[in-house]
Amino acid sequence: MLFNLRLIPLMPFIGAALLMLFGRRWKRDTVVLVAAGAVLASCFVAFDAFFTRLPEVAETGGALTDVVWTWFSVGSGDTALKVDLAFRMDALSGLLCLIITFIGFLIHVYSAGYMAHEADYARFFAYLNLFCGAMLVLVLGDSLPVMFVGWEGVGLCSYLLIGFWYTDNANADAGKKAFITNRVGDFGFLLGMFLLFQYGGSLNFAEITAGATPSSALMQPFWLGQPVVFWAALLLFVGACGKSAQIPLYVWLPDAMAGPTPVSALIHAATMVTAGVYMVARLHAVYLLSPLAMAIVALVGAATAVFAAIIGFAQNDFKKVLAYSTVSQLGFMFAGVGTGNFDGGIFHLFTHAFFKAGLFLCAGSVMHAMSGSGDITRMGGLGKKLPWTHGVFVVCWLAICGIPIFSGFFSKDAIIAGAFATDLYREAGLAWVGKLVSFMLMAAALGTAFYMSRLYFLVFTGPSRADAETQKHIHESPGVMVGPLVLLAIGAALGGFIGIPGALVDHPELNLIGHLFEPVLGHELEIPHGIEIAFIVISTAIAASGIMLAWAFYGRGYREPAHQVAFKFPRFVALVRDKFRVDELYDAIIIRPLRGLARLLFQVVDRVLIDKFLVEGVGAAVDVIGRIARFFQMGDAQRYMAVFAIGAAGLVFFASRPPVPDDLRVTVEGMSVQVDARRSGRPSARELQYSFDFDDGREEKQTVPEAHHAYRQPGRYTIKVTVTDLRWGTSKSLKQKVEVQ
Amino acid sequence: MEPAATFWDQITFWILAACVVGGALYTMTRRNPVTAVMSLVGTFFALAATYATLSAHFLAIIQILVYAGAIMVLFIFVVMILNREEVAPVALRGLGARILGVVAGLYLVFVFARVIHLGTSAAVPVPSETFGTVASIGDLLFRDFLYPFESISLLLLVAIVGGVVISRSHKKEVAAEQAAERRKIVEQLAHADFPALSDAGAGDAHGGAGGHH
Amino acid sequence: MPATPTAAREGTTDMPTSYYLILSFVLFLIGTSGVLLRRNALIVLMGIELQLNAGNLALLAFSRQLGDQKGHAFAFVIIALAAAEAAVGLAILVALFRSRQTINLDEASLMKR
Repeated sequence: MLFNLRLIPLMPFIGAALLMLFGRRWKRDTVVLVAAGAVLASCFVAFDAFFTRLPEVAETGGALTDVVWTWFSVGSGDTALKVDLAFRMDALSGLLCLIITFIGFLIHVYSAGYMAHEADYARFFAYLNLFCGAMLVLVLGDSLPVMFVGWEGVGLCSYLLIGFWYTDNANADAGKKAFITNRVGDFGFLLGMFLLFQYGGSLNFAEITAGATPSSALMQPFWLGQPVVFWAALLLFVGACGKSAQIPLYVWLPDAMAGPTPVSALIHAATMVTAGVYMVARLHAVYLLSPLAMAIVALVGAATAVFAAIIGFAQNDFKKVLAYSTVSQLGFMFAGVGTGNFDGGIFHLFTHAFFKAGLFLCAGSVMHAMSGSGDITRMGGLGKKLPWTHGVFVVCWLAICGIPIFSGFFSKDAIIAGAFATDLYREAGLAWVGKLVSFMLMAAALGTAFYMSRLYFLVFTGPSRADAETQKHIHESPGVMVGPLVLLAIGAALGGFIGIPGALVDHPELNLIGHLFEPVLGHELEIPHGIEIAFIVISTAIAASGIMLAWAFYGRGYREPAHQVAFKFPRFVALVRDKFRVDELYDAIIIRPLRGLARLLFQVVDRVLIDKFLVEGVGAAVDVIGRIARFFQMGDAQRYMAVFAIGAAGLVFFASRPPVPDDLRVTVEGMSVQVDARRSGRPSARELQYSFDFDDGREEKQTVPEAHHAYRQPGRYTIKVTVTDLRWGTSKSLKQKVEVQ
Repeated sequence: MEPAATFWDQITFWILAACVVGGALYTMTRRNPVTAVMSLVGTFFALAATYATLSAHFLAIIQILVYAGAIMVLFIFVVMILNREEVAPVALRGLGARILGVVAGLYLVFVFARVIHLGTSAAVPVPSETFGTVASIGDLLFRDFLYPFESISLLLLVAIVGGVVISRSHKKEVAAEQAAERRKIVEQLAHADFPALSDAGAGDAHGGAGGHH
Repeated sequence: MPATPTAAREGTTDMPTSYYLILSFVLFLIGTSGVLLRRNALIVLMGIELQLNAGNLALLAFSRQLGDQKGHAFAFVIIALAAAEAAVGLAILVALFRSRQTINLDEASLMKR
């Protein structure tokens, strides 16, 4: 079914192009109009597609497609590969399109206010538009290469936007760190893609899904006894780790907070970082073929969730807390999809987009009020002074903690319960993985509730710890910033209702999101009622206890328990605050050796080998040869050529002459003669024609060098033999006198 | 050798051959370099048409684009820089050897012509549809001959670098040289007029002499 | 002239290869003569270009005869090479002109023994 899906990514790209070319000359209002307008238009098209056109085809398992052109088509037969620039919207990519365009639009509006004092206004919005376009390409692509184009595009935009204020070295470094870490992941992505093509034969999602059966070539063993599909899934997951900040490639995300806050909200909370989760969900058919790979995905996700949560306990920068929170929540999502709960993972992606974006925009609002500082040790009591921000923050905070009714509750519960109850691993003998993941996630949920509540209490409650100068400037943000905040809060509050576990109350149709994804993701996780209810209770208890614990430590400011812990475990607290010194570890084991290698290469290879031996050496060699050659020259090029021509002519002349003996051998027997015109030595390979003139009016032309002739009358004759080379046309003759009697 | 070609094929060939040979002769006998370049361009166009009759479509276009279009433009530029007419076009130094060389060349042409004349003339196969087209030659260049193809780019790089280095302006060095020479002359003149100075070598006297000049 | 209708397809000719070869030889001869006899360095360089083109023509004629496109690829490389050589040659010429104020090859005899 053809539909102009291409408009969805196209319009932000057009916006970006216009802004890059003309943006600097336009007024601020025009810039925002163009940028936000482009994304809004995309949003309309996406909504239209999703709600009116998609349902028509979705029931039968189809999807909206749009083929723009054939990108490339190579090879033939078994190794043929044809990749089109084509888009495909089904429930999964449609939902993500909605998220990207809607939240993207809200953030564009927010940025109009937040970046109002920025000089490089147009550049910012151009990059934002470019990002939206690239992300939409990623999500709507119908094959891995097209998705990879979007993948790289968002990586680029992430770099551009993190390092937006590039005049400060630290920002530029953060941008580089993001890009390079992503690149490491991309390498895994590419390798996984190659494996999938080599053994699966196609890179198109529809074809991959159709061909991923237990009998496909993907199941054959590849390495270490594991099948191809395991390695492909694992490598692709490495790519997801890079893009979605999981262990060990998460280190770029906290540093990415150097960029403007709207960037953090859009890219590093709602959209780009979820690309990895989307990719795993998209390739669910492949992942389902390898329970071991899924177990790894789930374990890494859960481990990251716990690890990042712990780091969040001791961070003192507002945005850094949120950054680690994002890493942790992404871990939840991966744990979800890794345990076979694709619905749950994507559901959490959906709810997380709303409340995390809301939290980040609140951070922007707060930092705006605090004259640009994000240090929470200097905040406090902002609840009364920033009422709107406060309200939005509370809603999003309760959502992320998992308090019932709010969206986060439904999605987190779905994941934790799903992990516990999954039967995915039974056949692989790894049934314990589900239980372990579930427990880790519960610990992470407790941690989440704790550090988010810590953030809330330290920032919005209690007396203000800021200095007098800053306190004077605290003010609520303008309407253009508050508007999107409120909308996001509404989404964070109510978004959960699309995924009510309706089976519990015997109304399965309430589970909208489950139904939505049924034709796409197929596999639906059945969670026994008892476990479901148990986890609802447990999750709520965990959330509540996390909040209460945080209250005990930080309610209305720093309290005794917090001081006690810091006093008794100073080294551990310092370790956590230093994010477990992972960056320093990487620096020691990767970066320093690389730098050392580079230095070595420079000193040895570049200076000595290349400069001395090769460059100067070649020069010296040329010099020496030149000196020798100079001896033979006379200095006039034209005469050289004349000599050349004369020599060539001479060569041809002498070589083209036919081979002829010095003397003819004539044997006389009475009246007949035998003439032998062979040249001594080996017989010639040339086409020769011998012409024997016997001087009595008779001639013989033949190709053999011997001739026999009978004379009729005795006398003296002169026999002349002419040898002709038939190819060159040259001839030579010999004479011999003979006497016959 | 009976040509089996049609009348029009033959006419085309002879006309083009006449253009090519005529253009070449014209080029080589002009005194004015601009005329020579222009007629060479014309020769190349005729050659391109000849290539086309040989079903070498891609190369015909390349001939026009690169040879007539780029290389000849290069020649024109240089002609503009070095715009001189010469008096006698023929080189005189060592004329004997050169004439001999031309004669040798003539001899070679005749030998080869005779070889061709004596040889069998095979029928000309009809080239396939894709013979000489961009796609098929591109295929060849990018698969079987990828390495030579890439080497060309290296070659062109070398040519560019070489060209730049060779034709670098040495104005600064020349200016420095001239300044040094001037200084030397001034000193010599000073010493010539006041030979006593070279013995005394007194600073202020030297300065006084310098002031006069 | 025999009135045989040509078997060639449209866009091709049946002209025997030998004709093209002779044309190539003649062209080469003209080029060589120019190189040997002219005094103006520019004209000499143009003669060299003629020689290269003669080679190309021969290559393409044989290529058609044998139905093998390798000749085309070879000719392509030769054209690229001619471009490089012309560039360098002209650069040398310009440098020569700058120092001697002449492109008369008779006077470029510093290297002569």
